[in-house]
Amino acid sequence: MTEDPTSSTETSTSQVDETAETGSRRLSRTGRGLLLRGGPFLALVLLAAYLTSASPYFFTPGNLANVTRQSSITAILAVGQTFVILTAGIDLSVGAIAALAASVSAVLMTQRIEVVGLAFGPVNFWLGFLIALLVGMLCGMLNGLIITRGRIPDFIATLGTLTTLRGIALLVTGGLPVPSHLTATELKGYLPAPMIWMGSGGILGIPVAALIALGVGLLGWFILRYTALGRAIYAVGGNQEAARVSGISVDRTKVAVYTLAGLLAGLAGVILAGRLNSANALMADAENLRSIAAVVIGGTNLFGGEGGVIGSLIGALIMGVLANGLNLLNVSAFWQRVIQGAVIVVVVIFDQWRRRRFVDI
Amino acid sequence: MESRQPLLRMEQIDKQFPGVHALDHVDFELYEGEVHVLLGENGAGKSTLMKILSGSLPKDEGRILIRGQEIHHLTPERAQELGIGMVYQELSLIPALTVAENIFLGQWPKTRLGVVDWPQIMRQAEESLANLGVHINPRLEVRQLDVAEQQLTEIARVLTRRPQILLLDEPTSALSDTERGRLFEIIDRLRGRGVGIVYISHHLAEVPLVGQRVTVLRDGHLIGTLPVEEADEDALVNMMVGRQLAEQFPKESAKIGDLALRVEDFSVDGIIHDLSFELRQGEILGIFGLMGAGQVELARGIFGLMPHSSGHIYVNSQEVNIRHPTDAIKHGLGLLTRDRREGLVPMLSIPPNITLANVSQHPPFSLLNLRSEAETAATYRRELRIQTPSLDRAVLFLSGGNQQKVVLSRWLASGSKILIFDEPTRGIDVGAKAEVFALMNHLTEGGVGIIMISSEMPEILAMADRILVMKDGQFTAEYQVGEATQEQLLLSAS
Repeated sequence: MTEDPTSSTETSTSQVDETAETGSRRLSRTGRGLLLRGGPFLALVLLAAYLTSASPYFFTPGNLANVTRQSSITAILAVGQTFVILTAGIDLSVGAIAALAASVSAVLMTQRIEVVGLAFGPVNFWLGFLIALLVGMLCGMLNGLIITRGRIPDFIATLGTLTTLRGIALLVTGGLPVPSHLTATELKGYLPAPMIWMGSGGILGIPVAALIALGVGLLGWFILRYTALGRAIYAVGGNQEAARVSGISVDRTKVAVYTLAGLLAGLAGVILAGRLNSANALMADAENLRSIAAVVIGGTNLFGGEGGVIGSLIGALIMGVLANGLNLLNVSAFWQRVIQGAVIVVVVIFDQWRRRRFVDI
Repeated sequence: MESRQPLLRMEQIDKQFPGVHALDHVDFELYEGEVHVLLGENGAGKSTLMKILSGSLPKDEGRILIRGQEIHHLTPERAQELGIGMVYQELSLIPALTVAENIFLGQWPKTRLGVVDWPQIMRQAEESLANLGVHINPRLEVRQLDVAEQQLTEIARVLTRRPQILLLDEPTSALSDTERGRLFEIIDRLRGRGVGIVYISHHLAEVPLVGQRVTVLRDGHLIGTLPVEEADEDALVNMMVGRQLAEQFPKESAKIGDLALRVEDFSVDGIIHDLSFELRQGEILGIFGLMGAGQVELARGIFGLMPHSSGHIYVNSQEVNIRHPTDAIKHGLGLLTRDRREGLVPMLSIPPNITLANVSQHPPFSLLNLRSEAETAATYRRELRIQTPSLDRAVLFLSGGNQQKVVLSRWLASGSKILIFDEPTRGIDVGAKAEVFALMNHLTEGGVGIIMISSEMPEILAMADRILVMKDGQFTAEYQVGEATQEQLLLSAS
């Protein structure tokens, strides 16, 4: 899967072939192919090679497990974000949905609460997990309905829900981390063991979170390439009008992608809370932008219609490796922000340059 | 004429793109007060030549002389200084700005205080539009105008710069006959002032109406330059396609069968009113009308792209309820949109574009069969002679005619028995047109009923078994095959 990161669809392959034929004549054909098609993967390899030589600690099993575990949250969110961006939309609320889903489930799993006079909980992990996924799905569906029924831009709709959902999460948690010393009951300040295992456990040294992210990525790749929904997503993003003329329900497709993005945000929220052994209303704050950055670094067109999930997974890994490497090299946290932001801008400039070459025949 | 010094002389202009020799040492001359028509199929090199002249593309070889002076390093700014004005085929107006702002874009007159002189702009914009003989409120935003008005605004904009050399790239493609007539008057007036005009057109019939000389390009080569008196349509078509077209409109009447579609009292709010008509299997029903008569809304309304306010639609004598294109597809309808860009997903390759209307009928998580999809595409590529180096090529890179065939393949693949062709030959070249007509014949032989909406009188007269004329959202006349003439159609439509 990794040797061909952006060709998860026929679209990007044929597009890239075309670029190769008509683009700069100075580069050899294979060199150009690698540069354009394998760009993100190449960047990841170069980055990892540099860090291996710069820090003796980088290429050790412990650190690699650490990197993939940290990247997995971004990766899972980026898969949902890829679906949304492929339809030419954007979802700024995934981080907020993750926080709300984690908060709701953490509260239910650790506390006894009363809802309209009925005492409830603490519920077991599986019910809590299911509720987290459901909360995520409903929030995503709400985004989709606001965008299609309200006919307002995705950017504004999800900016609104981002704020609202964080507010609801604050209400649910009372502004405190969950579980907290004040409210923890029989679990004595711990989230259920399976949740912690999802966040920080491992199978044969491989982080569970990374395996889940990989599974989600493969499922996303399969949906995009082999299902009618996947095809509808590319059609809606590539030309909404043509999709409609061909009988595709543009609105239903949009609601579907936001719902999927919400579902995955719920999953990411549970894993993140498991890793931190804590959920709070303001968690996953940077994840909106990180997930969008991962998608764009991975080669998906921000204007929709081309790209794929595998590139986004690599994009998430690049973000993770970069953050990890900067830590290992003792770069100050302030400079880390500067560098991460610059990397995103440079990658997008390169991507735009590549697309211009492709349009100017 | 030959003794005078030409206003413009382009010598041995050569331009290569990767893989394409766009212009192969082409010569071109333009005199003061002359309209020189430039003809050629799509991809013949007309637009490339004009882009070189307007400075937006550099030439590889050759010389450009204006009034005998060689011009080096032509840029768009330099071209403007030299008095070269270009009206592009694709509109280049800014939709959210007013007509007046667009006309003076980049050269707003200023008051002494250095601020934009709005009263002056409005006055001058009004004047320049009135010169064109049109009444467009310069305060309106461009997006509120229809396409014809936008095109006229674009022309007004170029004319305010008082060009000495005016390049018009298919300026009449969106104009009605009256507007076209007015444009020709303006062209005559400019000619009188000594302006040299290069006129690019697809309409062979326009050549003798506007031009003094005509130059034909084919595949980047100069085929010849003739005075219009010697250029009859047959000769021009011959030069353009390089082969004798046995017949431009190869109409073969198919057997007319049972009723395929019946539309009763069909209305779209405020645009079309209580239309009723029938279409039979194997029939081509022509619908003719001037721009804005409601043909677009009729097609979109029947296909479910636009809500209809009243009316009934019967397919095979069964009433059907069409609220969305997916309903129309289910009942065997297909629509070839006026603008092909509305019908294709440009970055997708050929197979997914062909199967899109089938895929859309399946539940979201049903699996695609990529192998049978590729086979379907290969079949249609063979049958419809879609020319492409590979099926994996994004449809963006296909020529207009081949794109049209991909859209048609989609409807054949989805099993359409009733096809609506909305301006099927718009923007495709003579050779591809004949091919589209041949395909229409082939389809009707197979029992498909076709509604052919067209504003091209020769093609609708030649191809349709029956013609309905539309005006202000109503039918004003009906003609059987062979009954109507161009004059009658125009009379019924206006």
